[in-house]
Amino acid sequence: MEKKVYELINETLYTETLPNGLKVALLPKEGFHKTYSLFTTDYGSIDEEFKPLGQDEFVKVPDGIAHFLEHKMFEKEDGDVFQLFGKQGASANAFTSFTKTSYLFSSTDQVEKNLTTLLDFVQAPYFTEDTVEKEKGIIGQEIQMYDDDPNWRTFFGLLQAMYPKHPLHIDIAGTIDSIAEITAEDLYLCYNTFYHPSNMNLFVVGKMDPEAMMALIRENQASKEFTAMPPIERKFPEETAADIVKESTIYLDVTRPKAYVGIKGLEALPTDGYELLRNRTAASLLFQMLIGTTSDNYLAMYNEELVDDSFGFEFNMDRGFYFADFGGDTDQPVELAERLKEILLTAKDSPELTEERLSLLKKRMMGNYLQSLNSLEYIANQFSKDSFGEATLFDMVDVIDSIMLEDIQGVINHFIKEEAMVTLYVYPKNKE
Amino acid sequence: MSNVLAKNVNLHVIPTKKYKTIHVLIRFASELTREKASLRTLLSSILETNSLNYPQQTDISKKLSDMYGAKMGIGSSKKGNRHYLNAVFSMVNPKYLPNEAGLLAEGFNFMQEILLNPNADGMQFDEETFHREKKNLISYVQSIYDDKQSLASLRLQSLYYSEDEAQQTPGFGRVEDVEKIENSELFNYYQQMLQEDEIDIVILGDIDEQDVLPLVQQFNFVDREALVASPMYQRQRQLTVAERVEKLPVQQGKLNLAYQTDAYFHDTHYFAMQVFNGIFGGFAHSKLFMNVREKESMAYYASSSLDTFRGMMTVQTGIDSQNKEKVLALVSEQLDAIREGNISEEEMQQTKAMIRNQFMLSQDNPSASIESLYLAKKFPQSDISDDEWLNRLEAVTKEEVQAMAQKMELQAIYFMEGGVA
Repeated sequence: MEKKVYELINETLYTETLPNGLKVALLPKEGFHKTYSLFTTDYGSIDEEFKPLGQDEFVKVPDGIAHFLEHKMFEKEDGDVFQLFGKQGASANAFTSFTKTSYLFSSTDQVEKNLTTLLDFVQAPYFTEDTVEKEKGIIGQEIQMYDDDPNWRTFFGLLQAMYPKHPLHIDIAGTIDSIAEITAEDLYLCYNTFYHPSNMNLFVVGKMDPEAMMALIRENQASKEFTAMPPIERKFPEETAADIVKESTIYLDVTRPKAYVGIKGLEALPTDGYELLRNRTAASLLFQMLIGTTSDNYLAMYNEELVDDSFGFEFNMDRGFYFADFGGDTDQPVELAERLKEILLTAKDSPELTEERLSLLKKRMMGNYLQSLNSLEYIANQFSKDSFGEATLFDMVDVIDSIMLEDIQGVINHFIKEEAMVTLYVYPKNKE
Repeated sequence: MSNVLAKNVNLHVIPTKKYKTIHVLIRFASELTREKASLRTLLSSILETNSLNYPQQTDISKKLSDMYGAKMGIGSSKKGNRHYLNAVFSMVNPKYLPNEAGLLAEGFNFMQEILLNPNADGMQFDEETFHREKKNLISYVQSIYDDKQSLASLRLQSLYYSEDEAQQTPGFGRVEDVEKIENSELFNYYQQMLQEDEIDIVILGDIDEQDVLPLVQQFNFVDREALVASPMYQRQRQLTVAERVEKLPVQQGKLNLAYQTDAYFHDTHYFAMQVFNGIFGGFAHSKLFMNVREKESMAYYASSSLDTFRGMMTVQTGIDSQNKEKVLALVSEQLDAIREGNISEEEMQQTKAMIRNQFMLSQDNPSASIESLYLAKKFPQSDISDDEWLNRLEAVTKEEVQAMAQKMELQAIYFMEGGVA
């Protein structure tokens, strides 16, 4: 077990990679009642085409299968795992993203028992045709609920425009039709390929004795058999800038129009984890300087009533892709989209990009970072989600400190390109 | 620790070393009326947007950034017969920042500026700010329509409280009321609020009361009267169940139900009511989830929740519209089962374990700790030790839970029918 002390932020992290390949990280937190554990596999909704364990040919599985599998993991021959967690006083849950599936519990009591339950249930699949069929109704309702959510639909409208071929544009839960095709056999195929310990990580944070906790995890894993696993081969459709849908419009049951601009990352990013983390941080600082709540651009748009408090922007970076989006509710959608594009495309010479603004926003980012360390969920989720090699969430103090104006200009050069931009308009349905 | 700053203006400090941050809540409490909800929500937006010395919202944002990304927000909410205007502020504890000892005082000076020094001329707020924030608030209230789960719960509330205007009004107000508000009227109301509202300031963090006392004394709040009406809202039981069906262009139907419980925050039945709700629909092992979702696959969510300041329980489900009658019957069967005492020892234990876990978890959250201290001060019957709290939960019997189920009376059904283009 390796121990690393981060003195500036007063945290100590324990890590170990077990013989079966499982990466474990423990972060004890003084004074907390709660222990939060997150067991994550590097497998999400976009991983639809891959070579199954022990096979030489690529297969393609139905949309939404990673999420379906997440639902079905909770059901066992002798009942529902939620019940077992409940009896042990723990709240359990799970979530699926584009690239990850995570299972979690939080409890203030019987932590050893709950942790064992977490490890055991995720490592013991049980699917039958009957239980798979039954789940289709529940997930069907989940899909319909998201279909009625304008923010979700808008987000996928943008992804559809930026990634028309890549599975990123497909709803994480799939569609009613695609999940209808899923069989128990498909679930086993995906499970056996992606739920190998070498493709997974476990993060535990909160009240604990790290030595005892690691011993329990080692022992639990040593008692199970896993065959050695070659690296997973995934395949994604080829997509170029020419495939991007420059402008699209959708109609939803909303009261006001919305306008969004998206930028798809076209250039390859650094492979070094620390550099990648610096890159993401620089991008985030760039957009805050350019268009965030301290910028003159934002103030002008607000005062001209192009935007209101619903305006926001996000930069996403994940395994194999990165993109940014900007926008919100507006009564002047075309004007807003045009303005956003203009601000982005002239970023290089923007008067917002000064040393003074950069240091102000670095100060804010540092403070926000320290504040976020209050939340055990935030720490665990970030830690398990990010793949930055050796670099982790706890290196952020150094990373933020290291960003210079030339890094910011670097992001503009490799990322902000007219051919990488899309515009999405959302209009109220009754005005169709 | 509590300190009286003026009559009905109190400071409460919660010292803890758990967090790297300091959290402040300044709460203005008033009796709820329909008009106040809109006035106070618009007021909160205007105060949050700018001030005399920070006339643009970017000025505020820059100041917050300069205080290491401190966060400030002003919002409104309601609870029972009370309407709250809440100013919250949080910052990194200066202990984690080298050479920044003055940051705490800077933070309190900033909050004083925001609350007491608005962008106004002594008669009214800055015209431009007033009009823009009014327009934005109207857009915001209208946009609640876009979120169908929130819409369904607001429609249910308005149906259930059809006889009481204040109770049926959302905490953030109504479009038609916001439209009527005039600038000078709002400014007068603001001054009235500062003079008359009950004020509680709660501070949580690794901090001494001695350090913050002079900082909050600067606010110079004057004496005021205590609120007289009960904070709990009592409703007359109705003989008939109010029903409303609304057709909307949605994929998923929403069936929401409201029951009168007449059980209130920390009254005799409080713990039994919590256990009842947990067995009925509060958790993933509850009867609603197990039967409507897991057995019948009819919903993605089917749950119940309690409002113990209004003696109400609601059930919310997202379903296929054609299953409405079936789901209504299933919900009613689950309630009947508990009424008949069909509660296993396992359900009792599991539910208590989950409530215990929730209670302990809430102590690891700054805002939840602040809220619970506020309630302990306002409702002394809830000011009990953790052990006492857990003992009372443990002591709840199956018969008491059964008795709670028997008190439930269905009073309103709202159905958002989907599948209509």
